[in-house]
Amino acid sequence: MSAGVAGGPPRTAQQDTTGVEVSTAPAVASVAEVGVRDRTVVADAGTWTRPEVAEPTVSAGVGIDPFADVSDAERDPQWFKRAVFYEVLVRSFNDSNGDGQGDLPGLTAKLDYLAWLGVDCLWLPPFYTSPMRDGGYDVSSHTAIQPEFGTLSDFVEFVDEAHRRGMRVIIDFVVNHTSDQHPWFQASREDPEGPYGDFYVWRDDDKGYSDARVIFVDTETSNWTYDPVRRQYYWHRFFSHQPDLNYENPHVQESVLEALRFWLDLGIDGFRLDAVPYLFEEEGTNCENLPATHEFLKRVRAEVDRLYPDRVLLAEANQWPGDVVDYFGDPVEGDECHMAFHFPVMPRIFMAVRRESRYPISEIMAQTPEIPPNCQWGIFLRNHDELTLEMVSDEERDYMWGEYAKDPRMKANIGIRRRLAPLLENDRNQLELFTALLLSLPGSPVLYYGDEIGMGDNIWLGDRDGVRTPMHWTPDRNAGFSTCDPGRLFLPVIMDPVYGYQALNVEAELRNSTSFLHWTRRMVEVRKQNPAFGLGSFTDLGGSNPSVLAYVREFGDDLVLCVNNLSRFAQPVELDLRKWEGIEPVELLGGVRFPRIGELPYLLTIAGHGFYWFRLPREAIPHD
Amino acid sequence: MTERALDPNALTGILRDWLPRQRWYAAKGRDVRNLTVSSYEVVAGGEPALHHAIVRVDGDNYQLFLGLQGEEVPHRIEHAVIGWLPIADDGRMVAVYDALHDTELTAVLLDRLTQLPDAVVPSNLQSLVVQAEQSNTSLIFGDELILKVFRRISPGINPDFELTTALARRGCKRIPRPLAYLETLVEGEPTTAAILTEYLRTAVDGWELAKTSVRDLFAEADLHADEVGGDFAGESYRLGQATAEVHADLAAALPTATFDSSDLSTIAVGMHERLSAAVAEVPALAPYADAFRDAYDVLARRPATAEPIPTERIHGDLHLGQVLRTEMGWFLIDFEGEPARPLAERRLPDSPLRDVAGMLRSFDYAARHMLVLSDTPPSPQLEYRAEEWALRNRDAFCDGYTGALGVDPRDDPALLHAFEADKIVYEVMYEARHRPSWLPIPLGGARRLGEM
Repeated sequence: MSAGVAGGPPRTAQQDTTGVEVSTAPAVASVAEVGVRDRTVVADAGTWTRPEVAEPTVSAGVGIDPFADVSDAERDPQWFKRAVFYEVLVRSFNDSNGDGQGDLPGLTAKLDYLAWLGVDCLWLPPFYTSPMRDGGYDVSSHTAIQPEFGTLSDFVEFVDEAHRRGMRVIIDFVVNHTSDQHPWFQASREDPEGPYGDFYVWRDDDKGYSDARVIFVDTETSNWTYDPVRRQYYWHRFFSHQPDLNYENPHVQESVLEALRFWLDLGIDGFRLDAVPYLFEEEGTNCENLPATHEFLKRVRAEVDRLYPDRVLLAEANQWPGDVVDYFGDPVEGDECHMAFHFPVMPRIFMAVRRESRYPISEIMAQTPEIPPNCQWGIFLRNHDELTLEMVSDEERDYMWGEYAKDPRMKANIGIRRRLAPLLENDRNQLELFTALLLSLPGSPVLYYGDEIGMGDNIWLGDRDGVRTPMHWTPDRNAGFSTCDPGRLFLPVIMDPVYGYQALNVEAELRNSTSFLHWTRRMVEVRKQNPAFGLGSFTDLGGSNPSVLAYVREFGDDLVLCVNNLSRFAQPVELDLRKWEGIEPVELLGGVRFPRIGELPYLLTIAGHGFYWFRLPREAIPHD
Repeated sequence: MTERALDPNALTGILRDWLPRQRWYAAKGRDVRNLTVSSYEVVAGGEPALHHAIVRVDGDNYQLFLGLQGEEVPHRIEHAVIGWLPIADDGRMVAVYDALHDTELTAVLLDRLTQLPDAVVPSNLQSLVVQAEQSNTSLIFGDELILKVFRRISPGINPDFELTTALARRGCKRIPRPLAYLETLVEGEPTTAAILTEYLRTAVDGWELAKTSVRDLFAEADLHADEVGGDFAGESYRLGQATAEVHADLAAALPTATFDSSDLSTIAVGMHERLSAAVAEVPALAPYADAFRDAYDVLARRPATAEPIPTERIHGDLHLGQVLRTEMGWFLIDFEGEPARPLAERRLPDSPLRDVAGMLRSFDYAARHMLVLSDTPPSPQLEYRAEEWALRNRDAFCDGYTGALGVDPRDDPALLHAFEADKIVYEVMYEARHRPSWLPIPLGGARRLGEM
């Protein structure tokens, strides 16, 4: 979709199909302005009208298909396997009304930027009404939007506008628990005999389910908390202000399904299901991944398949791949979630680069089981949570803390609360290597807002707010995020001398053709040109040098060889490529042809933290 | 016509030039005029043909697989041609070449192997000669099998075959699974000629991996070994665990015994002899000789009432180059024992601490190899850091070993020191003869051991 193709003359300006003009020359319209102009044009042309959804009603059985005008031949039930995802926090992205908080109309205004970046699907963490004690994951209504973020009609407009640009939208849905401010919980504590009395897990003492671990070990001491109103203990796997729903109660299951249908009817493309392993409890178990939990997910999936084709369920199950794989359901049919996050990949990438050894990654890839053919992993480098270190050994965790969290404030529960760029000490070579790994390892990559421009973090903010600060758009007041009085911002913008918004922002990076933003966009584009990245098999090639991770992704005729130097020093590597003898590798970014593969080991030299992506064309390409 | 054996005299003629140029030829620089062909067999006739020969030089037997082909030699095997010989009957010339470089003939060889029970060996795989080997020639078939062909071959069952099949029967997960073998007669005795095992495609050896760690350490100005990104202690710990697991399986699978005080005296005598010979050849070792002799004497004077030392079959030549890091953890390979010792001796039970001592010495080598490769004299700072790396990883290895087996090799320091000293003596001799610039590594080890 880009007019600027690597290998051509140096770019000074380029135009793409969304009309975003990018230039190194000054005085060019910013993406934000273009976005607004674009929307106005559409509205004037009268091709799009905002649906009135003032009083949404739950209409089970009538799914609104956002791609209804797409012919069957062009339908793509496996779109999520090739998609590049982008996690965007509504509150942190763009403020349209100057109240200091990002909102849905603000996000809609930046859709052109996201389309230009090339991402295929936006993932919105919770924007539900919430007391905001856990970044919105403490939901106090499953079908209403926090007023600062906008209205339901703002949401529908956002979804439609995203679809118009070919982007999908998935939203977070917190299945396991609610806020203690949720009307269900309030009713449950007030009236144990009432209709909501059994919506949560209540006990007379705090002795039950003692084999379940406490997840937020630095804030919670028990999974039970006493409620002085009902005079009983309630069960919670996370914060004590987030009571777990009682899935044994069929009414709970019905109510949750009803809420899911509500959003699907508004046209969204799927859900990220938060904290799925914990839905059910059972004495004598660790209360994770129980069969009943899987049964309920199968029910959700059946409902989605029946009424809402091409939608996706993405499981958040922070578990080992061997356990997570169960969330895909049947090994052949894949009848639970379409996608699940592959949590251990991320810390392993960090570990491998620090150790300058491929084995942390090779091991976890080797331990990753096969998944059903209609399913896909989701992988990420960073997200709104801390860098989770549950999936590394104790020894490695101490080490990762030592290496990446030099200040105690950088640590959260058992992870590290940093953004990608500061974690890598702003080393451009490592940023590129990590991004290249993210975009080439098996699974659909999930980018985190701001990481495409190398944004910094603020470790002095509480909990995980340090990685949720406002997006940097321009060098202007509040980084162009909001026109409010700077003191009113929900979180301060980053102002330190290295990552401060004055220098590090979208506008500046758009004008600089060598910026990390342009580089990331180019990589996303190249990834999308090669279906092997999204759909292909993965084969670790090994090789003579333990600091070099080389693998082949293969899908039909599309064959891509990725070679990554995990060391900061230049390295040679000999690869056994006999299977592809006679093929001339073509480097994907520049199109340069490399020497023909022969019978002997293939020798490559790679700069420190360098990488190559090669296409291995099976058909010989004639020389000029 | 290539069904017929070659004229032995003509064959020895071309081999005299070729054999000394092979890496695996041990008697470098010595006379090859007395080369004789001691056995000869046509494995497969046709065009090309595969012949097998054992030749004897200077008391050693060497195994050859010969390819024979008429006038047209394909380009891909030209580099493996040993020479041209006339066929006896009609005087037509055939090329004689090293058949292990001809994928057509190695496929024939693969089919001729005897499969082990439960093993499934695929055929029609392309082979590739591994370049790096010293005493054998290995072929990788496809990306799943590796065939080790013994070149210098002693009569009898090869300990590598004996030990790996015994370990595999016990379900040991720390070795590549043996799949098939080839047997031949050497000096009238059935002898292991080649072993086919599972190929660990994504592996690299421990030496390569340890080097990345030391390189990383030396690139930092003043960080300690436990502070740098490439810290190796976790790997060393796991390597210690793997070694202990293999030792436990070997003790369970094969006969065990003990060393009593008289055995130890005998062992000490051998150590003294090797030390004397080494001091005579490398005078730089002399300053540490007394300390070494003291260590040997402690061993020799162990009271008869002391607990006997358990022995079992061991790896015999364990070092970082004999272990492979894979995505399934560490694997041990090449259970042939110390190549310099006679086969019968290598098959005797020995103390597993000998393997531990070998690996501990290997950490010392890894820590210091960059110092001896440097053109400038090493700075005391780097020396200090190399020492720190070696100590950290030696300890981690022993910790891992202890963790898996419940037996701490450091609990018998007298025995461990004596084995280490003996190993250093071997290293001093080897380096003096082959790599004089590396001599500071074992000499430094001798100094430190003497100070303990």
